[in-house]
Amino acid sequence: MNLIDIRNLSIELKTASKPIFAVDRVNLTMKEGEVRGLVGESGSGKSLLAQAIVGVLDEKWRVDADRFHWRGNDLMRLSPAERKAIITKDVAMIFQEPMACLDPTTSIGEQLEEAVDAEQLTGFFWQKRQQRKQAAINLLHKVGIKQHEVCVKSFPHQLTDALCQRVMIAMALARRPMLLIADEPTAAMESTNQGQIFRLLASLNQLKNMSILLISHDLENVTHWTNTITVMYSGQFVEAGTTEQIFNQPYHPYTRALVDSSPRANRMIPNKSRLMTLPGSIPILQHLPIGCRLGPRCPRAQQKCVHAPKIKNFHSHQVSCHFPLKDSYS
Amino acid sequence: MSTVLLQVSNLSKTYKDKNYWFNRKCVSALEPISFDIMPHKTLAIVGETGSGKSTIAKLLVGAELPTTGDIRLNGQTLAPGNFKQRCQHIRMIFQDSGTTLNPSLTIEQLLDEPLQLNTKLDEVERNQLIRETLQKVGLLADHMSFYPHMFSGGQKQRISLARAIILKPQVIILDEALAALDPSLRSQMINLLLDLQQQMGLAFILISHNLGIVRHFSDEMMVMCEGAVLEFGKTNDILKKPKHKYTKKLIMSQRFQLLNR
Ligand SMILES: Nc1ncnc2c1ncn2[C@@H]1O[C@H](COP(=O)(O)OP(=O)(O)OP(=O)(O)O)[C@@H](O)[C@H]1O
Ligand SMILES: Nc1ncnc2c1ncn2[C@@H]1O[C@H](COP(=O)(O)OP(=O)(O)OP(=O)(O)O)[C@@H](O)[C@H]1O
Ligand code: SF4
Ligand SMILES: [Mg+2]
Ligand SMILES: [Mg+2]
Repeated sequence: MNLIDIRNLSIELKTASKPIFAVDRVNLTMKEGEVRGLVGESGSGKSLLAQAIVGVLDEKWRVDADRFHWRGNDLMRLSPAERKAIITKDVAMIFQEPMACLDPTTSIGEQLEEAVDAEQLTGFFWQKRQQRKQAAINLLHKVGIKQHEVCVKSFPHQLTDALCQRVMIAMALARRPMLLIADEPTAAMESTNQGQIFRLLASLNQLKNMSILLISHDLENVTHWTNTITVMYSGQFVEAGTTEQIFNQPYHPYTRALVDSSPRANRMIPNKSRLMTLPGSIPILQHLPIGCRLGPRCPRAQQKCVHAPKIKNFHSHQVSCHFPLKDSYS
Repeated sequence: MSTVLLQVSNLSKTYKDKNYWFNRKCVSALEPISFDIMPHKTLAIVGETGSGKSTIAKLLVGAELPTTGDIRLNGQTLAPGNFKQRCQHIRMIFQDSGTTLNPSLTIEQLLDEPLQLNTKLDEVERNQLIRETLQKVGLLADHMSFYPHMFSGGQKQRISLARAIILKPQVIILDEALAALDPSLRSQMINLLLDLQQQMGLAFILISHNLGIVRHFSDEMMVMCEGAVLEFGKTNDILKKPKHKYTKKLIMSQRFQLLNR
């Protein structure tokens, strides 16, 4: 059974004139225990999609979907309040700026205790207080922070980025979620610290069978940690498949360019030669091209591309392009 | 055999820790180091947080005064106080250079500012130079009347690059300038920098965490740890046969992520 199954989810920015589709009919499915990467350039709508899933977008936006199933339940048929109850119980999210999400005036310990789920506590209120304290410490141990005494007493600004991120993960774990959405958990970290955070997420996935949606702008950075990858560009669905399919045999011209432009793919080419890259840059919301939004930058674009392509499925490798690169591998 | 462009000898920096009034403790951010850079070459500096990479950059552009040592450009010693001479020849691009552009000035005004301060060109000549520079970084002369907010992230990077090269510097320092960019923009920027290096004989000092970029872009590299240089040599040699344990660890931590697929 799929953990989450979303078809044609659109996110519309309400404006006075014509509505703008910041996210345009995107699909996303995840199985239980899966680690999926959600990859795309800055501004491609990854954070919007994640926020739409956990339902924290403000009324500026309108979210619409053909299907939104959570563990077999059709969430579209439930009232917003019921939907919210299900999602907050089972899904946790780490937001893009860890520092900004922690309260700077409260100690880490208090913030963690507050996050602990009341259902896990038993007994009288004085017992509960003690249990809360213990639960907070257990959470810190779970994310690999051993000196919990120091950490519990300190305030967010006293911690390094990597520690802050661990605390955020600890808070996300407090409700024992089935799905953790991690939005750029390692941005602005150096590679040794990045490795630590990724290893922590991987171990949580293995030990607790927790599914993870890992959001990143850098394809190369996440490939080691994911089972499957979904690629987005400018709010549109690009390609989805297993990590191997995406990285070794991308069918979409955009994914191809992403893979080709990574320094790893360029390991074989001579020092200082020019890298492969697409011209131009991602369009802004106010000037989206019609049809396939990659059109103006795409090396394979043809007349047909002014109409948005339909998703094609090749053995669970999905691609949204009129002229996929399928035949170039044989 | 071309001549040495930038010669650094015995450069070091100690910060006085202001928290201790008595028995003032000194923090040695940079042990004495020496290196040379030729035109057309790129030197990469890698090392973990706090290893003194940005300190070197600040000393070279003159934002901090060195405790010991001297810096020679084309054989001439750069006087510590002579800021004007320096910022003509050594320029720096920061990580978030896109956001450091003054939003109330047009691109023309932004680029005109350093010219007015540092050259004796008249208005027509300045205008001509701005046009040429914009073209070099892949923008159009029409963009002169635009304001920074009308550009995308990558285009803003190009503008800060234009600002850096308009005075025809000989050395450009990139302190994590590529880290926050998307991969496709990053490749565009690398290509652009390589083109400029070929055309203008620029020397780059590249401070980066990404060994993939270091490998591709640099000729020599320097591995730093706690203010001291651990290894210094040809990039290829170091990456193939790292001598120091610390370098090996650094390479492994990235290779683990990149090559295991
Ligand atoms: N509050 C907002 N008001 C208006 N536009 C917004 C708002 N938030 C995001 N956008 C726009 O929506 C688009 C998608 O934004 P989103 O934050 O989802 O991108 P992202 O893929 O997460 O990028 P990044 O990698 O930079 O986090 C962008 O074009 C952005 O400018
Ligand atoms: N103004 C200052 N006063 C006192 N100490 C300083 C000052 N600036 C830097 N330092 C110290 O000098 C050391 C080297 O810092 P530097 O900024 O050069 O590191 P870095 O290698 O650039 O690190 P990063 O990768 O985080 O940018 C650090 O230990 C830092 O605490
Ligand atoms: S649909 Fe057309 S423009 Fe879009 S990616 Fe495919 S070939 Fe390129
Ligand atoms: Mg985001
Ligand atoms: Mg630095």
